[in-house]
This record gives sequence, C-alpha cells and structure tokens, in this order.
Amino acid sequence: MRKTKMISVSAAVAAAALLLTGCTSSSNSAVSADVAGKPDYSGSISILTAFAGKPMDPYFQNLIAAYKAEHPGVSINLSQETDDNAVKDKEKVLIASQSLPDIYFSYAGNWGQNFAENGLAADLSSAIAPSTSWGQTFGAGALNAFKYDGKYYGVPLYNDAKFMGYNKAIFQKLGLAVPSSFDALISDCSAIKAAGYTPIAFGNKDGWPGLHYLQQLFAYNVPRATIDADLVPKTATWTDPGYITAMKQFTELVTKCTGDGSNSNGVTYTTAQQQQQSGKAAMYYQELIEFDSVNTDGSQLNKDGLGIFPLPAPANAAGDAKTLEAAPEGYMINSKSKNAALALDFMKFATSTKNASVLSSPPYGQPSAVIGAVTTSTSSAAVAAGSDAVNKAPSTLVWLDTASVPSVGDAWVSASEGLVSGDLTPDAALKAVQAASEKAK
Amino acid sequence: MTSAPASVRHVAESAPPVRTRPDARSVPHWRNVVWLIPALAVLAVFVYWPLLQNLVFSFLKWNIYSGAQTFVGGQNYMELATDPIFRKALLNNVWYAAISIVFQVFGALLLAAIIESVKSERLRKAFRSIYFIPSAISLTVAGLLFYFIYQPQTGMLDTFLTNLGLGQYAQAWLGHENTAIFAIVAMSQWQGFGYSVLLFSVALQRIPLELYEAAAIDGIGPIRRFLSISMPLVREMTSLMMIVTISGAFQVFNEVMVMTSGGPNNSSQVLGTWLYHAGFITNDFGYAAAIGVAIFVITLILAALQLWVSHRKRVEW
Repeated sequence: MRKTKMISVSAAVAAAALLLTGCTSSSNSAVSADVAGKPDYSGSISILTAFAGKPMDPYFQNLIAAYKAEHPGVSINLSQETDDNAVKDKEKVLIASQSLPDIYFSYAGNWGQNFAENGLAADLSSAIAPSTSWGQTFGAGALNAFKYDGKYYGVPLYNDAKFMGYNKAIFQKLGLAVPSSFDALISDCSAIKAAGYTPIAFGNKDGWPGLHYLQQLFAYNVPRATIDADLVPKTATWTDPGYITAMKQFTELVTKCTGDGSNSNGVTYTTAQQQQQSGKAAMYYQELIEFDSVNTDGSQLNKDGLGIFPLPAPANAAGDAKTLEAAPEGYMINSKSKNAALALDFMKFATSTKNASVLSSPPYGQPSAVIGAVTTSTSSAAVAAGSDAVNKAPSTLVWLDTASVPSVGDAWVSASEGLVSGDLTPDAALKAVQAASEKAK
Repeated sequence: MTSAPASVRHVAESAPPVRTRPDARSVPHWRNVVWLIPALAVLAVFVYWPLLQNLVFSFLKWNIYSGAQTFVGGQNYMELATDPIFRKALLNNVWYAAISIVFQVFGALLLAAIIESVKSERLRKAFRSIYFIPSAISLTVAGLLFYFIYQPQTGMLDTFLTNLGLGQYAQAWLGHENTAIFAIVAMSQWQGFGYSVLLFSVALQRIPLELYEAAAIDGIGPIRRFLSISMPLVREMTSLMMIVTISGAFQVFNEVMVMTSGGPNNSSQVLGTWLYHAGFITNDFGYAAAIGVAIFVITLILAALQLWVSHRKRVEW
C-alpha cells in the first residue's frame, strides 16, 4: 500500500514537472532590433557597464551628462558593476528575468557568443562592419573579436592584453635587460630574489590570474589550430603535450619567481598589484587596462618607471611565439530594445575620437579600440606602448576563461589553483579539463 | 419558589456582566482559519511556490541565454549522485556542523556556565558582552577581516606563529586544499560563539538557584552540578541550538564566498556555494536546482530528527 502511494506521489511530481514545463523547450525569439532607424531623442535607454568603482565610474556618468547636454529629451538609466564576477552575475540574473538593458557590457569569446547565438544581441553589421564609415574607425582585430557567424554584434570600447610590467629602476640597479626567453626570465628571478626583491608579484585567490599565464603559455607551446579546436567542445580533445609543457613552465615560474610560491592562492590580485606599486616587486603580470591604476602619481613604481614586455616565449616551443593574449571588451545592444537606434547613437557618441581619447587617458587608462585615440600625447607611455603592441601583434588569443565554455573555463580555474598550491599535477589537471570538456559536448 | 433576598438581588442587578470566554467549540471553525489566511498566502507565494518551482527546475536542463527548458527527468539527480565535488561539499558541510556543535553548542554551554558562576554581576555582564561582540559583526566583514588575518607572510596569524618560533607552520591558510575549509570554520566559530553563549546564559539563569544550593549542601562539586543540574535543565535550549547550528551549517554561504569562493580547486566548496557555482558560473541552473532540493531535504530531515529527539527527552521542573 505504502509502495503504491510512493509511486503515485512520484508520478504526480513528474506529471507536475511535465505540465509546468510543457515538456517542450522555449527559447528567446530572435527579434531584430531596429538599429538602422532614426534615433528618438525623446526616448529612454538603460545601460549596464563594468566600470563601477574608482577611478572608472565617472567615465560613463560624464559621458551621459555630455550626451544629454546635446539631447536634453533623452532619459538614460545607468547601472554599473565591477569587472568580472559582479558584472557576469548581474547579466545572468538579467537574462533569466528577461530584463537585459538596452546597452550592456560583454567580453569577447564564448561570453559574447552566448549573447549573439541566443538572440540576445542585435546584429550591428549594417552599422559597424569594417566596410561602414563607423566600422572604419575601429581596429579590425577589435571588431572581429565580436564577430560571430559572419555578423558583427559588439561595439569594442577598449583593447586589453596581458604584459609583464617591470620596475625599470630595479632592473637597472641589478643590470638586467628585458628577458628574451622564458628561461632567461626564470634565471633573472634568482638574481632579483638574491637582491631582496620579490621577482614577480602574484596573487591567485580568484584563480583567473593563473589562467592568464596558462593561456599565454598555451599559445607558445600548442599549435594555434589545436587550441582553436580544443576551445570548442565538439572538437575538443585537450591531448596536445604542449598543455603539459605549459603547465610545467607555469609551476616552475610560480616556484622560482613569485614571492609567495605555493601560498599564492591566499593572496589577492590587488595585494600583488600593491607589491609592484610600492616597489617591492620587480615584475607583475598585468592587464593593459591596469597600467594607469597601478602606476599612479606619487607611487614608488611611478618614480622608478614602469616598463612592459610580453611574457617571454620558451625557446623552440611548438606554438606561436608572436601570439599575444589579448581581447577587447565592449558593449552589445539588446535585440529586444525598443530604442535600439538611440542606443546605437549613444555608442557612436561614446566611441567618438574625443570620448575615446578621454577613455584612453589617465585616470581611466583604457586604451580605446578607436584608431588614433591612443597616442603618447593622450595616454601614458605604458598604455601607448601596450596599445601599440596589441595593434602590431600578428595574432591574439582571448582569455582562457572567456574563450572556453563556462564549465571548461571553470575546470581551468580549478586547475590553476591546484597547480599553484601543488595539490594537482599537470597530468591530473589536464584530465579534469578533459572530463569537463567531454561533459560539455 | 422563593425569591432571593433583596441584598442579593441588588448585588446581582448592579454587578457588571461577567465576560466569559466563549466556548471554542461554539465558534465556527472557518472563523479561526480566516485569520491564518494572510500569513498562509504570504508563505505560499514566497516560500512554498518557489520551493515547488525549484523542484520543477531540478528536472530541467535550462539554457538561460536561449531560455530553452528541456525536461531531463532525474538526470540532474543522477549527476548529483556521481559528482565528486558535491560529495566534497557535503562532507565540508558535515565538518562545519560537527565542529560547530562542539564549539557553538557544548563549548558555548560550558563557557556560559563558567560565566554564570562568576559572583560579580558586573563581571558577568562584561564577559557576556565581550563574547557577544563578534556576533554583532556581519559575516561578510568578519570574512574579510579573517582573510587578512590568514594572509601568508603579512597576516596576523602567520606573524604570530613566526614570532613564537613556529614559523614552519606559517602558510596560506585559505590557499591550500587541506586547510581552507577549516580556516573558514574557525572564523565562523569565532563569529557565532558569543551568540550561543548569550542564549545559554539566559537558559542557565532560568534554573532555580535552590537546586544548586541543595546540591552544594549535599557536597556535590561544581562539575557534577554542571553535569547533573545545568545540562539536563537546559536540554531544550541545547536541542534548539543543535537544530539552529546544524541547519545553519548546511546553509552556510557568505563566509565561504567572501574568503575562498569555494577554492582552491573546489576544496572549500559547501552545498550553498556549489549551488551558486552550478548556476552562476557554469550556467547549469537545472543542476543548481537539484542541489537546492538536496539541501532542503537534508535540513528538513535533520530538523525533524532533532525535534523528535528533543521532544522525547523533554525535562520539566
């Protein structure tokens, strides 16, 4: 009797589930917002940025004030989150509640692809493709980072890339030159450590700082075609021996060059930044968009001088030694926006040469993707040099966590933490990634 | 038939009518129920409906980007059964509960008894306040505070160990797989201990002093008095604290998110953070809902078990 009752209850639950879900899938219908129409300057738009916190948050506030001065009838609702997890979480909640704003932040790679492929982002090809007048104001690489299935979905706002920032005074004092190879870098670490400095500041509390090393080392050690295939679950195998080599190089760098070594998982990224800023660390692997917030007026680093170089490639590596880990970050327009033309008009305003130059200058220091906005007269020397290196790089590779599908990116984050603490071997880390990739197929 | 004396009649006529409580049986049942409807409606909308929805979601694969929802039957639960990180998270919750029971229930009871045995009222109040202050700090703030205490090299704990000549034990407490969860649990004990002490103090104050005095006259020492009088007579509070502590241990989230986000390498994941991780990091909201159901079932069973045990062993005086 009790068994019959249990079966009845189970059946009822299953039936309720079927009824509530309709047993079918529903999807966001691909509504194409009218981006080509005439902007309604009496309308309203909403914006979600990744510029919360100092020194970034005034940028969009000032931009909106300037836009409203030109178009007093426009109403703009601004919402700002900090970069990375905060903005990612916010966007997922907004997607689930079908309330994405008219303009929203996006990373390149799989992150932006999800918006594009699922009808959440408007196709901007007619306005921003390289053949259009607006499209010609951007670098081709930045535009292509938001190109999915032959269409352009994103407005690249600024370029970002990873460089080793170094303290010029420390290098000069120790008679060191910019290392020409990975082995030379490891060798320099011993000399720097012997002089009482931390060779490379490193904080891996969030896992992704380690990923940045790994992705650049993958680019050096694994053929590009293999990486591209492995980033797509359907074609992924993650079996190239270059991955193991890269992970061994990474652990060697953590052990021999960082101040905290296997303890680095207990150190935040900002703590590591401060070690460089205060002149205690000789090097720090950092993003281009961080240069101006680390190299601030009055800091020891500013007095000593900040130089940059790409992470040196290992000799005779199987990948491409010229590839630079870099990706623009930008904004998409909601495919269901009722004021898509106005949203597009605002983004054109945001990427005008004048506003792009402001973005590229201190204190913001975000090197605009607009051609000509970053010069030595508008930007700091480090930002200008980094931006130039990005533009000249023959190929770039997007961050590992945003290039991969989320479950694989997450497996790499865990791998990075395990490799740093020494609790995970490169073989075990790769097996965990292979399992995550297999599951994502 | 005789009439009542005049004096009696006068009293009866001038006395105000006596208000008597209506017989509960004479009030229609539905009139009592009406008063419960608003609360039931709020509970239904904000508690039971989301619970039911979550149960439904646990049978789905849900792509939040496309909005596509596909019924997958018990697949999420099968995945749950074979997920090593779910098991790790569950084990961490068990550790959390076990350590919390030791410190926040039995340790707090012991400390409360010691505090209540202090003769000076002023000192008793001072001790209660001192132990309670950490509980007034938000978990997020306490998490950040301990994050800095646990920092390798510059953190207070490692500096303390080094100064004591125990530098070989200094390490990144939150950065290693074998110490991260215990470092978080330790912070949680620091934060929640005072609250438990305060509640036990109140419970101990309710015990009649005569019992202790009689025991003292009979030559019974303080330890025996604690074991034979205090502990049995605060059993209800102990049971309540066990329920609260165990339920809390299985719902822990804030401190783990602030201090490690479940890392390194998922070693400090607990059920709450693994649910968040499944939903917001890997976009698997159906699986996240299944974890939610598992948390609900576990806490429900534990609470029911605790209530049953405490009811059976109720002591009255």
